[in-house]
Amino acid sequence: MIKSSKFVRCHTCEAVNYEHHGKGVFCRRCHSRIHQPRYISYHRTWAFLITAIILYIPANLYPILITKKFGVQTESTILGGIIHLWEVGSYPIALIILVASVFVPLLKFIFITYLLISTKYNVNSSRVDKHKLFYITEAIGPWSMIDVFVVIILSVLIHFSGVQVFPGAGATSFALMVFFTMLSALSFDTKLIKKES
Amino acid sequence: MLTNQELDQFIICKKCDTLHRKIPLHQGGKALCSKCDTLIYWRDDNMMEKTLALVVTTLISLFIAFNFTIISININGLEQSLSLISLFSVLLEHQQYVVGIMFLFLIVLFPLMMLSSMFFVLIFIKIKKYGYAVKRLLILLSHIKNWNMLDIFFISLLVAMVKLFDYARIELGISFMAFVLIVGLELIITKNISFDELWRKYEDTYGDSYDKE
Repeated sequence: MIKSSKFVRCHTCEAVNYEHHGKGVFCRRCHSRIHQPRYISYHRTWAFLITAIILYIPANLYPILITKKFGVQTESTILGGIIHLWEVGSYPIALIILVASVFVPLLKFIFITYLLISTKYNVNSSRVDKHKLFYITEAIGPWSMIDVFVVIILSVLIHFSGVQVFPGAGATSFALMVFFTMLSALSFDTKLIKKES
Repeated sequence: MLTNQELDQFIICKKCDTLHRKIPLHQGGKALCSKCDTLIYWRDDNMMEKTLALVVTTLISLFIAFNFTIISININGLEQSLSLISLFSVLLEHQQYVVGIMFLFLIVLFPLMMLSSMFFVLIFIKIKKYGYAVKRLLILLSHIKNWNMLDIFFISLLVAMVKLFDYARIELGISFMAFVLIVGLELIITKNISFDELWRKYEDTYGDSYDKE
């Protein structure tokens, strides 16, 4: 029986490779670097994650959508927009936006933090579950962009001389936040999960 | 130590990281992971031809989608239309450079790059030439396939339309139909294409000459 912990999967070309402890390995098929020394990936993931968390604050505090109606300017943040949609009665849209732009980023922060801490301190939980968690984190990542795209589309369509809608500072920081959480998920090294077994 | 050929007999599940030994399948057969039931590999002898046809169709639809009106709205006689050009001009006017650049990459450049590199990879493997370019393109593909957000843009389009429903009359443009087609075709392509299989084909086709860098 061959032990599965001796092998790693190349993230670029999916080939099965031998794992070499400690040093960086290059894939036998596509020659891309499979793993950096452990600490580089660990710190890089933390750095991207913290950047994303910091960006999440202005993304929620600053208006994501600014409406200008005959000179009168009203601003709405992400949460404000969701509450407004709920009050107006479009529940499905409110739920989609709530899940995509509030729950998904928060879940990603929690998942990546958990993965980093549990691999560092060897928390006893199943290795398979951690791999699944990482897979989910990667899959749900881009969906938080929905809100930014909706704002962009609205700002193009509602662009008259009297009434105008345009993206605020919140949209920029939100888009950057999504970008950095995706980078953080990409730089997380699945080999970190293997360490304990 | 096992040789490369022996290592090729193994496959690791992308979801739960379980190691499996491959068994030969019949045409159309599928192999699921023993732990989490994820589809890990399948046999489809016509994979390249099918994918090539789908990629060409998607590229044509993408060209249409980027050049014509997506939707136009009509509020009490005032008309406004959404197309890629009007989108960038409005973003430029509001000085939303970061959002604009991200939009340019995520919606326009990455999907175009992804589909055209798939096209070239499939063509080059078919005519058995340009091995080095195929390798570079396959590596590029594995990096940008996570960053393609056309499907998310389409969902956002639907959300925006529902929001505008009460105030405006909405007319669907040609590009909207093209977007419907693209999103459907991309789903089929991602279901059809196997990058592991493409890398194997690459190794088979270009033999030992592939690693002269």
